Amino acid sequence: MNFSYRIVYVFWRNMVSYKRFVLTTFLASLIQPLFYLITFGIGMGAYIGYFGGKPYLYFLVPGVLITSVMMTASFECMYGTFVKMVHERLYDSLIATPVSAEDAVAGDIAFAAFRGLVSGSLMMIVAIFMGILPVSLLSVLLLLLLLIIVGILFASLAMIVTSFAPNFDFFNYYSELVITPMLFFSGVFFPLDKFPPWMKTLSLFMPLTHAVAISRAIFLGVYTRGLIFNFLVIFILEVAAFLIGVRLMKKRLIK
Amino acid sequence: MKAIITARKLCKKYGKFKAVDRISFEIFEGECFGFLGPNGAGKTSTVRMIHCVSPLTSGTLTVQDMAANIDNRTIKQNTGVIPQEITLDNDLTVRENLQVFAHFFDIPRAEAQKRIGELLKFVELEKKRDSKIDQLSTGMKRRLLIARALLNQPKIIIADEPTTGLDPQARHLIWQRLRQLKSQGVTLILTTQYMEEAQQLCDRIVIMHQGRILKAGIPTKLIEDEIGREVTEIRVSIDQDEKLLAALAPLACGHERVGDTLYFYCRDGHALMKKVVELDLPNTVHRPASLEDVFLKLTGRGLIE
Repeated sequence: MNFSYRIVYVFWRNMVSYKRFVLTTFLASLIQPLFYLITFGIGMGAYIGYFGGKPYLYFLVPGVLITSVMMTASFECMYGTFVKMVHERLYDSLIATPVSAEDAVAGDIAFAAFRGLVSGSLMMIVAIFMGILPVSLLSVLLLLLLLIIVGILFASLAMIVTSFAPNFDFFNYYSELVITPMLFFSGVFFPLDKFPPWMKTLSLFMPLTHAVAISRAIFLGVYTRGLIFNFLVIFILEVAAFLIGVRLMKKRLIK
Repeated sequence: MKAIITARKLCKKYGKFKAVDRISFEIFEGECFGFLGPNGAGKTSTVRMIHCVSPLTSGTLTVQDMAANIDNRTIKQNTGVIPQEITLDNDLTVRENLQVFAHFFDIPRAEAQKRIGELLKFVELEKKRDSKIDQLSTGMKRRLLIARALLNQPKIIIADEPTTGLDPQARHLIWQRLRQLKSQGVTLILTTQYMEEAQQLCDRIVIMHQGRILKAGIPTKLIEDEIGREVTEIRVSIDQDEKLLAALAPLACGHERVGDTLYFYCRDGHALMKKVVELDLPNTVHRPASLEDVFLKLTGRGLIE
């Protein structure tokens, strides 16, 4: 693995291009999570009423924050990276400079995580306007940190997918078979405790489950010992996905 | 002269396919060295190993006294690459393309601004500095690729088929610029399948075919050794060959029949032409021998896919 400070240069290249479509990305990354907030939060929430002593939206918002980061970071490292790699051959010209393949891929992961952070933060602002506030200022800061960590995780996982992808259609499999199921089996919309045991076990294998659990704990300021486990899973998975993603991409880029 | 690049028994395999098959060559400082060959000859694979984006399968390759390998950032820092395909950053403007690349080479901001100004002038793109890439013509894009390759003031420039798909004006402008760079002492490495381009630019060439070097040398000398000075092409039907060859036999020319044409390679083209006039053969072309003749002789006239 041949990393250097040039990761920052690759990140900066992405920022230069980002400034041209920043507003459209705001819209794109807000719409889906906003639907969740409105349909589930306000529509369904009216029937659910209170949830552990607080309105349902307090349950939903921390999950939706993480969901928006997952979506944005994943799609950036799938479609965004694929276009740069295959259609524009940008990586080819990058690795002919002192920027290594590892720097280039890590720079893209960092940028995807940044975009995830932006959409997560926007969602948080929307939630605050709706009157759903994290428990303290410290919570807000910890949440932002969590959004970055979760962004890197899902960006890295998407990189692994991209390293195999022969074309755009391939990404549909990942969205339909991994992202969408995770959305419904990770406790974003409702608690997992009424699930049969096998489904509970299954949900433990989904990184989103752990990220949502941590997010909810921070948002409400209710910390339990189980969080250590959640955090360990995220941490180990993150390091592994990052290293594997970079390695596989390098294998694809250098022939 | 000092060799700046030395390859010994260099090999490149993609799976079982041998793209480059144990080739050896030396490139001297300040010269223009050309790799010629049909598609798939192994030219691009060879230069990709030189500028360290493709690992060697076996053999040795030294660039500026350093071993070439994909993690060698020093070689990349000193090399400029004009790629075969247009790999510009479509999301960025002309100027931003260069700014971002200046970053990759650790060029300080003020210095980068200065060089970008000079380079845009050099490739005649000053008026397009704030245009998006899709507003440029192919020739402009190629020129921008040259400017980009020069940002780091490289000692070695690799131009991989730099004029493919260009109109004559754009092509001549690019040749001008490449010659100008060479006169500044830069070592130029060119791959091309245009013989005219190689004759225009290269001090020395190698002709590659199926991963191997068939011939190496100075273009004019190669032509002279392999073909002679002049070529006469006579378009006649094949049934007249015997008669014609008998009539021309005293001139001791080499000849070759390809499709509808009989090619003669003579030391004394003058005598041959006299004979041709005598025999009244109207469909005749008499011309100086070119690198294209050498190329076709060595790599065969069949289509190479």
